[in-house]
Formats: sequence, C-alpha cells, structure tokens
Amino acid sequence: MVGPTTSLSQLNRADGSASYKCPATGYNILGAVNAPVELPGRRDALKPEEATVEVFVKPGTTTAGVGERYVEGILRSVLGKVVLGREKGFPRRGVVLTLAIVGGENIERGDSYLTILPALLHAGLLAMMSASVPLSMTFAATLLCVTKSGDIVRDPSPTAAKAAVSLHVFAISSKSHLLLNESEGRFDFDTWELARQHALSICQGASDSSDGDVSMSEGKDGSLNGFIREAVEDQIYSDYAYKLDSI
Amino acid sequence: MASSTPSHPVPPSLSLPPSQFARLQPHAYLLAHLSPPAASNQPSLRANGRAASQFRVTSANAGSLTHTNGSAVVRIGDTAAVCGVRAEILHTDDIASWSVSQASSEQNTDKKPEEGDTDSQDKEDRAHIQDLNLLVPNLSLSTGCAPGFTPGAAPSALAQSLSHQLLSLLHSTRLVQADDLRIWYQPPNLEAEALGEQMDVDSEGSGNPAREIKAFWVLYIDVMIISLAGNPFDAAWASVLAALRDTKLPKAWWDADNETILCSDDIADAQKLSLRGLPIASSFCSFEADAAAGWRAVVIPDAEEQKAQEQKQKKQGMQQRWILADPDGYEEGLSQERACVVVDKENDGKGNTVIVKMEKHGGWGLDADDMRQLVDVSARRWDEMKRILDQC
Repeated sequence: MVGPTTSLSQLNRADGSASYKCPATGYNILGAVNAPVELPGRRDALKPEEATVEVFVKPGTTTAGVGERYVEGILRSVLGKVVLGREKGFPRRGVVLTLAIVGGENIERGDSYLTILPALLHAGLLAMMSASVPLSMTFAATLLCVTKSGDIVRDPSPTAAKAAVSLHVFAISSKSHLLLNESEGRFDFDTWELARQHALSICQGASDSSDGDVSMSEGKDGSLNGFIREAVEDQIYSDYAYKLDSI
Repeated sequence: MASSTPSHPVPPSLSLPPSQFARLQPHAYLLAHLSPPAASNQPSLRANGRAASQFRVTSANAGSLTHTNGSAVVRIGDTAAVCGVRAEILHTDDIASWSVSQASSEQNTDKKPEEGDTDSQDKEDRAHIQDLNLLVPNLSLSTGCAPGFTPGAAPSALAQSLSHQLLSLLHSTRLVQADDLRIWYQPPNLEAEALGEQMDVDSEGSGNPAREIKAFWVLYIDVMIISLAGNPFDAAWASVLAALRDTKLPKAWWDADNETILCSDDIADAQKLSLRGLPIASSFCSFEADAAAGWRAVVIPDAEEQKAQEQKQKKQGMQQRWILADPDGYEEGLSQERACVVVDKENDGKGNTVIVKMEKHGGWGLDADDMRQLVDVSARRWDEMKRILDQC
C-alpha cells in the first residue's frame, strides 16, 4: 500500500503551510496557518486567557456549505485542545488555519464528511508544526470502513466508503489517547472496539516499546505517527542545514 | 428617621449567595457540587440537581402545527425545539437528469439480478433520497433562544453544523423509505382492451405496461429552536423524529387527462410514513476537575499511565473527571470534550442495541471503557424516549 506524502512550508506568505496527499482515498489538501495574529471581532465573547483557533475549510469546486461548517467545528475542537494557547504571545490572539481541498472526490450536500476528515486533520497538524505553533502532542488519524462481510478496510476509496456498512474515523495521539472518534453506519460496540484497536495499531505501529524509549526505527514500520514525525524531522533537517554545514 | 434604623447594624456579609458564586466562579461552583466534602455525607450531584447520568425531563407533543403535514414540539428541560414537516411535489419532468439516471439504473438492475433484494433496494433508496435531495432539513436558532443570538444575523456556525448533522443522520440511518415518497402511475392496458374485443385468448401475452414514477414528495423539515439551554442536537433530532412519525402524506396520483398530479383531500386516504427504526440521540460532556490540566502540564502522561493515575485517585475519593449526560448550557460552557451516541434497538426494542452514530472530540479524557458505558446509558435512554414518543 502506498503511504501518504506531504511537503511542508510550500507557501511563502503564510507562517506555516503543508500539503498532504493520500493516494488511497485520492484527497489532496493544502493547509496554511497564520499564528499568532490579531483577530478582529468581539473580544468579550472569546476566552481572553487563551488563543482562539479558527479553521476554514474550502472545497475545491464550490463554495463552503453546511458540511464544511460541521467539519470546521470538529477540527477546531480537536486542534484547539492540542494547541498550547496559553504560551507566551498567544493569549488573546488567534491561530488561523485555512484548508483547501485541492484534489479528490467532491463531497455533495448531505454526504458523509468522514472520508476526508483524516486528510484534513493531518494537513492541519502538519501546517501547525510548520508554523511552529506550540502543541501539547501530535496525533494521527485514520479512516476505517467495515464491509458487509465484516472485514475492516483501511483508507477505503469514496465508492467503497459509500458501500460500507459503517465508517469510522479515529485520531490517536502520539501518547495513545483517543482524541477523536466519528463513526456512522450500523454497528455494535464490539465492532467499534475492533476498529479502534485496528486504528491504534495503524497510528502507533505494531512495535510497542514498553520501556518508554522512543525507538529509533519509528516511522520505518509504516505507522502514521511515525510518518508525521519523519515529515517534521526532514523539514527541520533542511531548515538547519546551514548550521550542520558550518560544524 | 434615625430612630427607625436599628441600633446594631448588621455587619456586611462576606459570603455570596449561590447564584452569584455560580456566575463568578462557574468551574469551582460545579466542582463543589460534584465533589462534596466526605464529611457532609451529600451525594455527588450536579449544580442543577441531577445525577451525572441523569437526563432532563423530556416531553413531546405531536401535531402542534396545523398547516404542516407533520409537526412536533419536543422539550428537554429548558431546551425546546419545534419541528414542522412540509411535503411538496417534485415532478420527474422537472428533474434535469431524470431520464438519463432512470435508464442507467434500469441497466444496473438488469445486470445484477442475483443480488439480494434488500441490497438493491438500499441502493435505489440512496439514489432517490440522497441524489435527488428529497429530504431538506434546516435548523434555525432564532433570536432570543439564548443571549448572544442577535436579530438579523446570518445563520451561526452552530446552526449550520446542526443542519448538516440532521441531514447526514437522516441519510445514514435511512430513516425515511424512498417508496413512501414516490408517486406512481400505472398506464392502462389499452392494447388488451382493444384486443379483448377481437379475441380473448392471447391477451395475457402482452401484459400490463410497466408502471412509472411520475413525481416525488420532497420533505422540508424545518426545526426551530425556540429556547436553547444546552444540548440542541438531542432536542432537534427528537423533534425531527416525532414530526416524521406524525407526518401524513395525502394520496396522490397522476391524472393522465389533465397531465398533472392530483391529491385527495380526504384525510382517510392520507398515509403515514413508515420509518425504519427509531434512532435516539444522547449527548454527553466531560467535566474536568482541574480546568487547567490540559495546558499546564506540558508533558501529558501516556494513555495507560493516565488511566492508572485516575484509578488511583478515584480510590482515594478524588475523582478527576465526570461524564455528564444531557448537559445544560451552564455545563456546556465549562467543558470542551463532547460525545454523542445515537442508538437504535432492533425489533421494536426487543432486539439488540445497534449504534447508528458515535462521536467524541475535544479532548482525550474519554477512552474506550467510557464509551462502552455511554452506549449502555444511551440504550437506557432509548427505552425512556420511546415511551415518551409513543405517548405523544
């Protein structure tokens, strides 16, 4: 299976940006982050001691509708909890994330938004890291579908997702917390638990180091958290290449 | 005068009335209710007097609006939602892609006759209801339902995302059957009549001409939240469900002479919708004892570590987290983590519990064990809601 690809800091004018492409589902997302910025608007309505996270999702071919409002709400609540909004320079300011759906199947009115949610989460997280927004943890998300025969399929194509009995999106943090779950369809709790464990192994990787050390081979085993880590490592390596050269 | 004032003026009290304390220190106020001192022997109750997994008093009334095909008012505590369902006719002539899509779907059914009956029916339902947008829910959070909703403003992000949630739940539960929304026309067998005069032997061979769909009913499902005190989704979904159960569609047929759809005004001819199942939504929020836990401890413990720690603290009587069912507005403002479970029970409540939708986001407190408990609580709530909806 071909893994996702990403590249960080593509846009010049944004504080941070990332493009994320998932070949299995076909989605291509471009994310840009500006942080911290001064926000216009009513100050008294916001929490003054924290940064406000704002998310905008822009579909590729149409204007944003009610489905985008919904997915923006989910992204805001997930990222808002992960961003350390009380770090120096962040309170009373805003973290503005814009995600454009550049490629992939269109999501029609009333369609499930779950198929694109992992790609949006990854693009958002990578853009945040590209902008050096302080985060308490990273996470990885995955889409699983349960077919009629009861098999759990990872990253189904949009047509396969429509035919599935149930769809599940899980976001697992780098410390194995369940950050987000969105499931729909018809299923019982045991199916959900199976899917959750499947997602945990996809996001964390099969090798479970119990000694608390970060294993050096992380990312090689194809886990999604390892993929996120590698992407950022590569970016930092190229950013600080001049320092390495001078040593 | 001076003589009327008491000689010993009461010293100004340093204590605040509870209502003021609730406004000044909302987090501490709710926490004090949930974790009373062990010596006081009080049970752990929420500030509104409910136990943690207790829902608010719910009432429902169907058929409240006269000008709709079906309507309902659902009240959960102080949150009240009015839902009206209005049916309008959509002619197939007005559907641009109708002849094309019809031809292609017929081809499909020819190709796969061996597939299960329900399977192909599912597909057709989806093709009609979803692709033709036969269900159009809209939710409005009207002015005055809660402070902060100003008149003349555009629909808030909350209202829009709730509209989407209603629509996607209607689609994913396949609550409404497409067959109820179709208006058929059976062309008369003119050939048979003509032939019948000449010879009545071969008339069976020609058969009746295939009946065709002439129009669809489109259901406009409008929800208005007239009072918002937390948990709008449960109330809105319950009102949609009650209104759809109440909906009656008039008998409609294609009149070949006038080339139009006619409807019967006889109420006895009108038919109720036959809904698939009864999915009930239950929402929860998670209240953290330490409001700053998320950001102060920059190094957050691993999931297992955190769980062990919580278990230890719980044993010592220091519970760190409460899962509150059906949060009101006050509690919603104090918690970030939300969960929503929509369950249905097969065979009218006698069968297994089926989860139709499950979501949680906004934190990392709830884990798989908590979700299992929430499903159990939601299953109990299903029984309660079924009783209420059956009575209305």
